[in-house]
Formats: sequence, C-alpha cells, structure tokens
Amino acid sequence: MKGLLFLIGSLLLVSCAVLPAIRPVAGLAEKNIMCPSPFLTEKIRLIHAIEVRAAGQVQTVMIGVTMTNPVTRTISCALMSAEGMALFEAVSGPDGLKVSRALPPFDAADFARKMMDDIDLIFLAPQGALTEKGVFVTGETVCRRHKEPGGWIDVLQGHGGPIHIRRYSEGGRLQRSVTLAGGSANPYSTIDLQASERVDYSLIMTLIESETVRDEPQRKE
Amino acid sequence: MIQVASMKKIFMVLLILLVLLPASVCADNFERLRRDSSRISTISADFVQKKFMKILSKPLVSEGKFYYTAPDSIRWEYSKPIKSVVISDKGNTKRYIASGGKMVEDKTGGAQAMKIVLDEVAGWMSGKFTSNPSFISTLKEGSNTQITLTPVGKSMAGMIEKIEITVSRKDASIKSVRIVESATAETRIDFQHVVINQEIQPSVFQDVQ
Repeated sequence: MKGLLFLIGSLLLVSCAVLPAIRPVAGLAEKNIMCPSPFLTEKIRLIHAIEVRAAGQVQTVMIGVTMTNPVTRTISCALMSAEGMALFEAVSGPDGLKVSRALPPFDAADFARKMMDDIDLIFLAPQGALTEKGVFVTGETVCRRHKEPGGWIDVLQGHGGPIHIRRYSEGGRLQRSVTLAGGSANPYSTIDLQASERVDYSLIMTLIESETVRDEPQRKE
Repeated sequence: MIQVASMKKIFMVLLILLVLLPASVCADNFERLRRDSSRISTISADFVQKKFMKILSKPLVSEGKFYYTAPDSIRWEYSKPIKSVVISDKGNTKRYIASGGKMVEDKTGGAQAMKIVLDEVAGWMSGKFTSNPSFISTLKEGSNTQITLTPVGKSMAGMIEKIEITVSRKDASIKSVRIVESATAETRIDFQHVVINQEIQPSVFQDVQ
C-alpha cells in the first residue's frame, strides 16, 4: 500500500512539473539571440576542492580532478579525500564508462554514471536540438535544448551575472541546477551544483588548479 | 656412498640456515627498531605529500604538520591545498575540514577510516611494524632502514599494494612514507624539521583552530 502511494505521489509530482516559460525578446529575432556558452573548448585538467552539503550542513570536503576533452567528449575523473587518498577513478567517452577504482561508498550502483553525467553537464556544451531561445520572466537570456534519450537543458544568464545550467527530466522536473559563479574570466573557478535526488545535496567546487592538457606523459620526481 | 650421504646432510643444513638466518636477523632488526623507538616520547614535524596519479601531469602537493605523543596521540594537519585536521587521542578520532573560514567536523565516515590509518601510524612511531596481521613486514638496512609492508588477504585488495617506510638509523624517527596504491597511483610523504622528545601541549590533540 505504501509502495502504491509512493508511486502515485511520484507520478503526480512528475506530471505536475512544468518547464519554465521562455518568452521572445522584444524587438530581437530569435536567431540574433546569443546563447550563453561557458563550456570548455580545449582539453583541460581542473583540480577543485569539493564541499559536499546535505540537509543544509557541510558533510565533507574532497579533492576532485577532471580532465575533459570537448572534441571527443571524453571525461577522466578522480576523487580524493582531503588527505589525498584516491577514492574513485573513472573514464567516460565514446567507448563507454570504465571505473578503475571505487572504494565504498563510491562503489554504489549508478554513482559513476551520475557523476559523469554531472561533469558532462558542467563542462561540455549540451547536445541535442535547440528548441527555444528567449528570456525568462525574471529577465535572463535562455537557450533550451532537448537532449536524447530524454530531458531538457537550459543555459541562462542575467545581465553580467553568473551563468546557470539547469537539467530537467522529460516531464519537466528540475534534476540539477548549476551556477558558474566565477565570472566571465574563469567561470569554473567557483561552481555550485544543486542536485534534486531522493536525498537532495549540493556541491560547492572551488578551483585549486587549472591546466591545458597537451597529452604529456606523467612525470615522477 | 657415505660421502654422498654426508654431502646431502651438509647441503640440507646449509639450506635450512639460509632460510632461517635472514628471518632471525630480520626479527633482531625489528626488535632493535622497537627498542630505539621506545626512546621517542614526542615527535613534531612538517610534511610534504606528493600524490602521483595517471590523471595528473605533475604530482599534487599537500603540506602540513604532524604531531605525535606516545603512545597513541596524533594530530595530522593539512594546510594546503585544503585545510583539514585529523586528531586521534585516547582512542577517539575526529576529522575536521575548513568551511566558510572555520573548521567543522566531518559528518561522514571519514573519521573512522582515518582512525584505522592513524592507529597504524601510531604503531609505526613506536616501532611496531610487525603487529598488524594484515601486513607482512620486511626490513632492509642501508644508510636508512627501509621497512616494506605488503598486505595479505583480500581486505586491502585494490586499495594498497605496499607501504614503504624509511626510518632514520640515527634516531629511529620516520623520514618518509611511500604508499603504493596501484601501478599508476602512489603517495609519498616526506617529513622535515623533525623535532623529537620536545614537550607538546595536550591541547594540540584536543583543540582545532
């Protein structure tokens, strides 16, 4: 009975969710609207301090390393404890997802896939058909894409403000909200990701190091 | 015929000696190390940690301070690149992380994971390199003493391949630790400005600033 109620509740929640309305820009043709595009254009390695928050409280801090190639849409990533212990390592790209290290609790089902999807959302230009351009009622310029196999991605920016990336389910439920608070010089210097899951959480990512990658071998001292 | 039998006996005795002698020498060396380490009551040191991983082009460098008071009080404090402190005192381990300009207690199981590590480190500081049944210990003498701990069983499988600890022959203090996690990942910690047997205030193992 409880399961049935949960299912009905979930269905109602999904069916009630509606994508925010996009309005045309007065006096400007849609084709002339410039879509905000903070996304990576070359292969870059980024090291961030990641503060994990849940229920409004800081849970832990980790070190995250991402190496993202926008041309091949290949993502390598590693998670370390603040003390430098490697907790998780994986690569995702055209050949699929390969996890080379996953200590508990990072070995949970779907963790790797969801993490790679989040990194993709933050750093790579969204794929899928551009369906709408315009402004929100609050004034931000927004471009909306419908991605395959399902769901929607909005990329929006207010006048001189931070860029936001929002991912919705096919039914319009907000799943992820990313704010690139670093400004136009380096939008990835501060990233705030809000995740709407069974237990909501947020990640505050602060840049430690950034480096353009030229496929060099690792040096040992 | 008698000669052949005698030769076989001598060969067998030599073989047994060859097998047993290094083990007894090794045990003696570990015993000597334990005796030397027992003279250490406190250690304070700076450390530089270098993390090597396939994804990194150059090692990720962390820095911090280390404090130890026998038998098992440890403060392991990182100042770069992320501020964090792990304190272990009287069997109680807590982990703190910097957030919003202040130190807050870690709410995950990180502290318990660190307790296992710090208990092991406290053992090394007092010269106990052979007490953990999860590792086989070997010792090599040179300009410094090098102890290699190799995990046995499956509990460490996929986590640690081996740990190499370099101990000063002069004062039995630990000079460096190398943790090999896999063929492409390892951590090296070098201790510098080591001060031995100088009083450390108990508050170091209780207060986090």
